[in-house]
Amino acid sequence: MRYELLIAGRGGQGILLIGRVLGVAASKYSNLYVTCSESYVAETRGGDSRADLIISNNEEELDFIKVRKADIAIFMHQAQLVKFSSLVKSNGTVYVDETYVSELPSNVGWRVLRASYTKLAEREIGNIRVANMVALGHLIGTTKLINPEAVEMAIDEVVGEEWSELNKKAFRLGLNIGV
Amino acid sequence: MRLEYLTGNHAIAEAAIIAGLKFYAGYPITPSTEIFEYLASKLPTKGGVVLQFEDEIASINAVIGASWAGAKAMTATSGPGFSLMVEALSLAIMTETPLVLAYVMRAGPSTGIATKAGQYDVMQVRWAAHGNYELVVYAPWSVQECLDLTIKAFNVSEMLRVPVILLSDATLAHIWERVVIREPPEVSIVNRKKPKVPRDKYKPYEPEEDLVPPMACFGEGYRVLVESLTHDERGYYKATNEVQRRLVWRLVNKVLKNKHLISDSATYLVDDADYVLIAYGSTARSAYALIRELRSKGIKVGLYRPKLLWPLDEEMLINSTIKAKKVFVVENNVGVYVREISRVLRNKEVISIPIIDIEVPTPDEIFEVMKEWI
Repeated sequence: MRYELLIAGRGGQGILLIGRVLGVAASKYSNLYVTCSESYVAETRGGDSRADLIISNNEEELDFIKVRKADIAIFMHQAQLVKFSSLVKSNGTVYVDETYVSELPSNVGWRVLRASYTKLAEREIGNIRVANMVALGHLIGTTKLINPEAVEMAIDEVVGEEWSELNKKAFRLGLNIGV
Repeated sequence: MRLEYLTGNHAIAEAAIIAGLKFYAGYPITPSTEIFEYLASKLPTKGGVVLQFEDEIASINAVIGASWAGAKAMTATSGPGFSLMVEALSLAIMTETPLVLAYVMRAGPSTGIATKAGQYDVMQVRWAAHGNYELVVYAPWSVQECLDLTIKAFNVSEMLRVPVILLSDATLAHIWERVVIREPPEVSIVNRKKPKVPRDKYKPYEPEEDLVPPMACFGEGYRVLVESLTHDERGYYKATNEVQRRLVWRLVNKVLKNKHLISDSATYLVDDADYVLIAYGSTARSAYALIRELRSKGIKVGLYRPKLLWPLDEEMLINSTIKAKKVFVVENNVGVYVREISRVLRNKEVISIPIIDIEVPTPDEIFEVMKEWI
């Protein structure tokens, strides 16, 4: 198996954290190989934020370091969906945060899974900052790419003790979307 | 053995600690700074010292001093900082001082684009210091190789008493990958050889059969001279043809004659290849992706990837391209290392594919040029 994942949104939406948690979960707790490149701009809020991940069970399949055609994408904001939609396969699986994404391209055959990650985080968890973990939960719950337990171990490792439970709660909320 | 998820810069720092680093001096510069930061938080807990100096000149000179005091020592920088370090690099070569310099390339000339990548400095790194010498330079293509080749850089620097350069770039510096970390005894660590003769018989620059002199450090009871002028085996200045020839040739030959100990390269499907791509560092990842793609379409393409960039292993290069009709050299610059390849493969058609890309050339960009020739 080899997957290319593109995660994009505005600076401040926790895009890079999704990439980091996925990377740790895959490489340290799922015996998979990962390459992740991050790009972001100088502003703390706004601007493009993007994480490209290549995940494979075969080291030889990690070649070019960036996404060429993503199998799976998360778009947390309309602006980055417009900007990067050409990087997603025409039959790719795409997750969108309906809170900020209202229009989808009509000329592609994407399988679109949508939920209002930000509104859900605000309503159910009381903190919009963990919308990213809701999105990640939705992705893991529906693709079964990685065992959710591995993701929770990665959350513990990456976000630190103080915020770990909040992030895991949001992740579990995402796991159960549509269940 | 343990698994970690690290960036290229983190891996260099982690490897340095495993290799026995005890002294780091540096001046922060993007995109190398995380090496400094990582070591600043970790090395002091392992009994090492991390210092920020006023500039890169002071930093590398401090590293030379620390190495003579018996510590494994390193610094890290990028293009503008390396330009300042070259005078002292020549000093390290002349005084046969083991040290490691991590050079994380960014887009130049001058301050260029500090956060973006390029491979412009592969010639500068080799030739910028004055005098004649052979310099050992390794170029990793993954986070795992940032780790493995840094350990190797320390081992070679200790084994041959030379400065060794690890040449990374802004792209590799900041990508995250899974890394397998092995510590001694799972990985072998080399320490400089010490004098075996009585104190009154020791000469600091008298080589053994491998052309490398055993190294006594300050405070070990031996008479130590650190001499940048042309010197004899005792370390005394001698301005004669005889001594100059003997010294310069030994400095060159201790690297060339020990090439079997330092050589490192990788090949992918070169045995039946009509076309061989040659690439190094992060750009080699793009060349490799293109080769995998072309192979799936039945085009016989292979990859030759020097990990030891300098000195080039000419025999390996010739053997890896022996059946190729054409050789392509892909670089993220205006096409510079291709000159070294052409020098060796005189009877081959060697085609330069220079692609300036502030991140990394894409497989499509490479094929766009290559398709005209196949």
